[in-house]
Amino acid sequence: MLGLAAGAAGSGLLRPLGLRAQPRILPPVAEADALVAFGHTSPVTDGGWTMAHDQGVQAVRKAFPRLRTVFVESVPYSADATRIFRQFVAEGAQMVISTSNYGDFIRDVSDRAPEVAFMECDGHAVSGNLGWYYITHWYASYVIGIAAGLMTRTNKLGFVGSFPIPSVYAGANAVLLGARSVNPAVTLQAISINAWFDPQAATQAGTALAENGCDFLCGIMDEPAYLRVAEQRGIKAAMWNTDMRQYGPEAYVSSVTLDFRDYYVDLVRARLAGTWQPEGRFLTLGCGVDRDPWGRTVPPEIAAQADAMRTQIMAGYNPFRGPIHDAAGRLRVAAGEVMDDALIYQWDWAVAGVTGLD
Amino acid sequence: MAGTLQRLPTVTPGRRLAWRAGAVVTALAITTLFLALSGRDPRLLADLVVRSTVGSRFGLEDLALFLTPLLLTGAAVTVTGRIGVWNIGAEGQFYAGAIGATAVGLYLPGPAWLVLPLMAANGIACGMGWILVPALARAYAGVNEIITTLLLNFVAGLLTTYLAVGPWHDRVTGALASTGRLPVRIPEIWGVVHWGFPIALAVVLGLAWLTTRTRWGYQITISGANEQAARYAGMKVRARILGVMLLSGGLAALAGVFEVAGTVHRLQGGLANNFGYFGIVVAVLARGSCLNVLPAALLMAFILNAGIVLQTEQLTASAVLAITGLVLFMIAIADELAHYRPVTIRAEARP
Repeated sequence: MLGLAAGAAGSGLLRPLGLRAQPRILPPVAEADALVAFGHTSPVTDGGWTMAHDQGVQAVRKAFPRLRTVFVESVPYSADATRIFRQFVAEGAQMVISTSNYGDFIRDVSDRAPEVAFMECDGHAVSGNLGWYYITHWYASYVIGIAAGLMTRTNKLGFVGSFPIPSVYAGANAVLLGARSVNPAVTLQAISINAWFDPQAATQAGTALAENGCDFLCGIMDEPAYLRVAEQRGIKAAMWNTDMRQYGPEAYVSSVTLDFRDYYVDLVRARLAGTWQPEGRFLTLGCGVDRDPWGRTVPPEIAAQADAMRTQIMAGYNPFRGPIHDAAGRLRVAAGEVMDDALIYQWDWAVAGVTGLD
Repeated sequence: MAGTLQRLPTVTPGRRLAWRAGAVVTALAITTLFLALSGRDPRLLADLVVRSTVGSRFGLEDLALFLTPLLLTGAAVTVTGRIGVWNIGAEGQFYAGAIGATAVGLYLPGPAWLVLPLMAANGIACGMGWILVPALARAYAGVNEIITTLLLNFVAGLLTTYLAVGPWHDRVTGALASTGRLPVRIPEIWGVVHWGFPIALAVVLGLAWLTTRTRWGYQITISGANEQAARYAGMKVRARILGVMLLSGGLAALAGVFEVAGTVHRLQGGLANNFGYFGIVVAVLARGSCLNVLPAALLMAFILNAGIVLQTEQLTASAVLAITGLVLFMIAIADELAHYRPVTIRAEARP
């Protein structure tokens, strides 16, 4: 009897919804009646990822003073996330924005609340009332990679990553491809520490990479621990999320900086006006993601060479073009082909020269 | 005439209940005071908490979903407590159960009526396997089970993360750091509440009967109270320790099976959500009685659920944790104070 009621295999639906595939047009909301809810993955004071999103929340508050916003920080990646999103809906939110990937935890709620607009940062699914947005950080990483390739003396780059997931693959691969475009002898060694915010583990990983001969550290971390390692050891480092040069002014090269302010204001404006539609949206280089102004020890000619690529990318050039081989030596992108953003967004293999991710 | 305090050797359930109710009220009063001092309206918050936990269908569904794993992990720690053993590894056995269930769910195609019981059986077997070495070491070599079971939690948690991002990683739907969605799920009976909830309730009631009404349960209690005496009376103490610990591992694993097959539907790191550790809190509140696991788990579920409501009202997660700690701290003090009663000593009449 248990089995008969178990429902269709693989069905993500909790109850049948006719409008699942079609985008729903949600009616306009008066600013004074609106509630927009944000779910963050770490504390708003993390000095990195969530702080960048919180600046976006503050921009929304400033642009719409009569609108109510709520946020929950440190939303765990477990069934608790579903409870928190359900609570947002129960409190009457017209729009729920999750500033990190919560996958099924958000989809389970959005399918049951078709009258609420959901947006998921780094999400991968679009439904009738759920969309996603993400920054094309790989272009900024590529630009920084060029500087890394020109600045390294040992030709070994280190990468402190969290989990082997597409955004980490894209970050590490982009740095290496950027570096190899100017210095084909460069390799990159990655270490995954199973966390986005763990200064102790990041310090250990950074130290291990430096011991292995890496003289340029990069990675995707919410905090500046490995920059401090680089500063102490007299090597270089590039960071993520925000300007972190104060933690290591000599070692600091640049950072993949994020800015969600304009995007969040536009998003909320569209929801209030009743013009919001579920879609997948990339924020491009210069419009939400960029490299930070170069550190004071970066030679001007190197900065200029890297910035020349940045200008090219902003004019529409895509540097992710074949031939690109994976770490096992197989040709994955043929000569003459380019990897567009949609492909890079799903990147789940390491390019030749990257070790430690597969 | 002089007043003094007298310590009672045993406390009646009614007396303890009264003290505990007082403790919860005191903790809530202190919380209210701090909320008022920080410029919030405690009445508004209290109203919201009640409305979003027990005052609405939505809240009751969430409460049942919290209760399901808490009942089982609470029972897992409680049964070992009856024989004087502390299983701190419910978190790890929870993961082991989830891993075992996922292995079957992902790689054994078949109808749900067949796959779900197999998932549960394999999950329970994995949970028992996870506690087997600590149990053998405790029963036959006297190795402290608190350390061994605790340390295996980290192994199980990391193993789960490894499987979720490594060999079992979902490369189909692009879900990050988790396995593919299980093709079968435990059917729901009421909103999002699935069959795991009534089964967990039944398991706890069954355990209450088993531990208090059977010869096996009696032997457990005696072995826990006085190992030497139990051995002298011919009881197989080591076998009982082994049996109880395996049972405990199986119970915690069943919680993991329900969480992955009923609620989350994918294996991923962080799945256990500290339910194994909260099980220890439930067991401490239940004071060794499986029947008491029901109200203890209910209180814990209410606190956790209220915590989420308060977070959406912009209280930080740390404040919620502090409130939880305060409630449990007050209950611990109340449990001790319940042993004392004021008595008046009359001056002895002198002839």
